[in-house]
Amino acid sequence: MSESAKWILLKQDGNKKYQAGDYEGAEALYTKAIIVNPESPILYTNRTMARLKMNMWESAIADCNECLRIYPDNMKAHYYLGQAHLELGNYEEALECAQKAYKMCVDANDKSLSAALALVRMCKSKRWDELDKRRRRERADLEGEVLALLERERDAAVNPKDTDPDTVQEKGDDTAIRAEWETKLEAMRDVFEKARSADSQRRKVPDWAIDDISFEFMHDPVVTKSGKSYERAVLLNHLQQSQLDPLTREPLRPADLRPNLALKQALDEFLVENGWAVDY
Amino acid sequence: MSRSFANKRLAKELQKINNSLPPGIELVSAENFDEWTLDIRVLDDNPLYRGQIHRLKFKFGTTYPIEPPEVTFVNLPDRPIPIHPHIYSNGIICLDLLGQQGWSPVQNVESVCMSLQSMLTGNTKNERPPGDEEFVRGNRLRPKDIDFLYHDNTV
Repeated sequence: MSESAKWILLKQDGNKKYQAGDYEGAEALYTKAIIVNPESPILYTNRTMARLKMNMWESAIADCNECLRIYPDNMKAHYYLGQAHLELGNYEEALECAQKAYKMCVDANDKSLSAALALVRMCKSKRWDELDKRRRRERADLEGEVLALLERERDAAVNPKDTDPDTVQEKGDDTAIRAEWETKLEAMRDVFEKARSADSQRRKVPDWAIDDISFEFMHDPVVTKSGKSYERAVLLNHLQQSQLDPLTREPLRPADLRPNLALKQALDEFLVENGWAVDY
Repeated sequence: MSRSFANKRLAKELQKINNSLPPGIELVSAENFDEWTLDIRVLDDNPLYRGQIHRLKFKFGTTYPIEPPEVTFVNLPDRPIPIHPHIYSNGIICLDLLGQQGWSPVQNVESVCMSLQSMLTGNTKNERPPGDEEFVRGNRLRPKDIDFLYHDNTV
């Protein structure tokens, strides 16, 4: 049997195992195939799929990188790499890979566009959650520190360290001082509380940011001849069903769509302050 | 597109509907993302529908909103099927908006209710579609599979 026939057979057997849910068996067969032919990108992306199923994130990343070394424009490798990085909590890397995969889908008119878009959203959302958690933790720490500082000041004011016999005797003033500090502390708590509720109140997505078909926050808006913008993946999906502008019902082909760069910029700017909106 | 696409969109519609609906439209039930019911009533003094409330049933497929929902009137003791030249007495509605051709994915539950509301408001004919009895007796098709002729755009 020729070398090429051999690795192709191994790959086919691997695919069968994979489809049957035997990821371990599939992974072993792809490995054998790679030993025969270490230069075929599809063997690496297939083995990545099996490894992702087995939660082997690190080795999945290694496979993707190997695949991209052979063939840098492999959409699937970028997509899986994004998935693996996401699982490992490497949100920046994950987002970068997802966006590459997304762009390749747009350029090649690939049917995985919706899946790539979902991955981009997921990455942005997780990255925001992480940032937001950190920010909240920092603010909570700050609140604790500031309040502790005030309490120390109060205690120092009530019980001066250099216990002067004169002041010790003046117990009557104690309550007034305490009350004064209690007011200050209360005011400080109030300031933090107000900041917290302002944070959650701000959570409103403007209508211009929402795609009118999926009702989701737009990521890659395209504009139709009527001037209305939609999420690219969603509108393309509609155009498969009916080649009509959703609003005007005039003929509309995928080639008529243009990216709406100004809206895209506005959406990105909105997300800087409101990252939670990405999976609103 | 998958079920989750439809569900996500419906979840957002439901959120909006729970916040506010136009006058004369009320949500009755939305227990899941397969079927919702709403009540509509005509707001003006049209004698054909005075004092009446009508029950609408929406059925959503996995392809919603790329494809239209199935919308029919339901006959209940206190919820009559409105009399209209485009509404059969079994509740099936002949409206191009609800057909494959007339539907657009920017339509939604609320906009469909409003269209039906205004379709009733503007009606003056106290009649069923031609061939109603025969259709109601003989029809075994789902509304979306019926090839309606949208010949008369004046009602």
